[in-house]
Amino acid sequence: MVDPRMPTDPVAPPFAGRGTFAWLAAEAWHHLWPFSREGFARHRIVQAAGIALAASTMVAWFLAGTGRLEAVAIIAWWFGWSVFEVIVRLGAKPWVKEGPWWGRRYRRAHLMDMLCYVGFKNLLIGATLFLALKSAGLLVP
Amino acid sequence: MKTLLAFLRQTMLATCAALVPALAGATAYDARLPAEIHTAPRLCDYAPCAEVFPGANDFSERKGRPWYVEAYGERDGRRELLGYVMLSTDITDIPAYSGKPIVTLIGMDKDGRFVGVKILQHSEPILLLGIPESAMVRFNEQYLGKFIGDNIEIGRSRRDENVIGLDAVSGATVTVVAQNQVMMRSGGAVARQVGILDPTVREQARFVERGHAPDWATLVREGSVRRLTVRPDQVGLPRGPEPFIDLWFGYLNQPDVGRAVLGDLSYRNLMNQLGAGEHALFIIRSGGEESFKGSGFVRGGLYDRVQVRQGMDVFTFRDLDYRNLWGVHAAGAPAFDESAIFIVRSESFSAAYPWKLVFLGNRVDRATGHRSFANFDTEYWMPAEYLDGGRPKIVKPDAPWVRIWKMRAVEIALFAGLLVGVATVYAHRDRLTRASTQKNKWPVNAFKYAAWTISIGFVGFYLLAQPSITQVLTWFHALLFQWQWELFLTDPFIFLFWIFIIVTVFLWGRGLFCGWLCPFGSLSEMLYKIGGAIGLKRFQFKLSKPMHDRVKWVKYWVFGILLGTSMFSMGYAEVLAEVEPFKTTFLVGLLNRAWPYTLFAAGLLGLSIFIERPFCKYLCPLGAALAMPSTFRWFGLKRKQECDTCKACAVGCGSLAIDRDGRIDQRECLLCLDCMVLYTDAHACPPLAQERKRRVKAGLELTPIGADGYFIPIKPVAAASGAKAH
Repeated sequence: MVDPRMPTDPVAPPFAGRGTFAWLAAEAWHHLWPFSREGFARHRIVQAAGIALAASTMVAWFLAGTGRLEAVAIIAWWFGWSVFEVIVRLGAKPWVKEGPWWGRRYRRAHLMDMLCYVGFKNLLIGATLFLALKSAGLLVP
Repeated sequence: MKTLLAFLRQTMLATCAALVPALAGATAYDARLPAEIHTAPRLCDYAPCAEVFPGANDFSERKGRPWYVEAYGERDGRRELLGYVMLSTDITDIPAYSGKPIVTLIGMDKDGRFVGVKILQHSEPILLLGIPESAMVRFNEQYLGKFIGDNIEIGRSRRDENVIGLDAVSGATVTVVAQNQVMMRSGGAVARQVGILDPTVREQARFVERGHAPDWATLVREGSVRRLTVRPDQVGLPRGPEPFIDLWFGYLNQPDVGRAVLGDLSYRNLMNQLGAGEHALFIIRSGGEESFKGSGFVRGGLYDRVQVRQGMDVFTFRDLDYRNLWGVHAAGAPAFDESAIFIVRSESFSAAYPWKLVFLGNRVDRATGHRSFANFDTEYWMPAEYLDGGRPKIVKPDAPWVRIWKMRAVEIALFAGLLVGVATVYAHRDRLTRASTQKNKWPVNAFKYAAWTISIGFVGFYLLAQPSITQVLTWFHALLFQWQWELFLTDPFIFLFWIFIIVTVFLWGRGLFCGWLCPFGSLSEMLYKIGGAIGLKRFQFKLSKPMHDRVKWVKYWVFGILLGTSMFSMGYAEVLAEVEPFKTTFLVGLLNRAWPYTLFAAGLLGLSIFIERPFCKYLCPLGAALAMPSTFRWFGLKRKQECDTCKACAVGCGSLAIDRDGRIDQRECLLCLDCMVLYTDAHACPPLAQERKRRVKAGLELTPIGADGYFIPIKPVAAASGAKAH
């Protein structure tokens, strides 16, 4: 039976029932790390490509830090990583939060849900890093 | 990576470049200017000086600091000075809405009256297609004949305050405010140099001599010595560990400071050389390889790398104003490899008031290699303990954006009241939907229709405050190049609107803005309602749900293409943003644009009579941009378990946001609240109606409907316990 009170079927991630601090830590980890052990095992090729892309993204940030990469290239890298993260998460952690961000309701993520989640999350993370790099004078427009 | 990016960029630019001229015609938008225009001594060989100075046929080389050009004509066969021509970017780098300066050539006669203005290059998106450049030309023509010493502002004239008002360009307020600053600062700088405007008279400082000799660290801490550092990336060079230039400077006439820096003997010698109204300051370079004296300095010339500014007055230094500084006496002073003492010879300068040391540099555009003028400054204000009576009280004039907020305070208050009012009404939606029924939705609709009407008339056509995807792209651009809060605060309505949008999208999703307050969306649905009311209902239709579910993705693709294009060229993204009919409808007017735009906007509005909000559902990139974070809105609409099989709400959903399982797609929902009215309507909601009938038949009480959308259950348990008590 479908539950129309949720936009998609409810899901309980492994950390959903933990105590407050453990749950918050798991939430933070969930936002920052798209891979899961199960997802890793199922997607060896994706895993390899993911590590490569993650490494290249780190190189891109490093180059930016040394002032050798233009801002637009950073944005392109970040965009590329985000696309990849969507694919990885759909296999590894296919859920998103429903309702208030401080709540513990989760639901299964469709492609568009995941696009919205990763796009929005990485926009916030990217903007924070970008502004930090820029305010430190490490980024040249 | 860079090659790929360059290829994509070139491809994108080539495609768009082929499109733009056909749409926009030749404009100053990102016009290619010869590199020499910024540096060559003969400015007028590269700039159309004659166009901004009618009657002049001969122009001097660049002179003065900041630069200007003398314009000459012939009278009775004799060569005669007629006035001056200046390039705005030689004088100021004030950015406009795009974050880049508008390069303007300005002509001013000997009496200080503007005689010509021509924009050579700009990057203002709104002027690319939204508003014709002729509007900007007409704006600039308002300066002709006006005196540079007048108090010229954007807005209405205020005779009691001696303010001459200029008519703004609708929809380009930020651009014209920036342009006004450019005009007044450029004209003022040249007018002061050539003696048209008198220097400001300031009361001279009276020093308190405390008789101590502070060390360097104390001088820096108390503000008697200040630092001016320019990093390589600030002038467009690759970042490196060394600063481009690192300067320390201070004012020497104050006895304690002067003795601390120079030593007693050198201080007395220096003071003996100074006449009345003359001021000495020192500069040392402790880092960087760039010279602050300038490598091209020649005897008799100007030091063109540093100057002092106080208010609108600029003080430059010639060779006679220079003295050697052999050493710094104060203990702990940094090592330095270039030094100077400069003398300001003007009684209009006063150490009692703040002033700035300005380093004049060039910023290199790493993409094009072009150089543009840039200045860097640090403010200096003598510490109060060294001034007899302390620092004078200074009333700084309001910033332009503050003046706009004050000038439009009533409208801003009304607009803010509207936003708060709509949010408050929506926050109490439960009361409204309970007061409504499927047959009588007026308790909800009265507020919603009022919001639409105000939004269309007051917000859209009067305030021109139509949010647009172009603003999102402009923020993105500003984040990359130069973020200035002032630019965004200059348009208070759009600024407030975006605060409202961001807050409400997180609370309830995009529907409150899109469905209740977007001027174009409101106009679109209002037309649909009017169409239905005047007998066109039989022609009105919806796309089938499967068809809608396919077509709704178009708006996300439009948004994605715009965002992608903006990575390569903001300008061309602005061109593509013409998919929004907002400019045509509200900012410029249906009848004031080229026919393709008018046809497009009118077509969408015409279609809106027959389909509910076709643009909002299928094309709007702003709606798509707001829909994405709406996925994570905190508070959604309510549903019951029975909604999975019941289709009552879905059939009536104008947004087609309810799927076959009764689930609401929060990205598509425009919060019309029709389904919420049904949710508590015991005669229309099938599960409720069923329960109502059952209770009536059984003679049970019809209890109120709870928050879960069901009748509050009847629990007859009190009778047994009551009997025991007796």
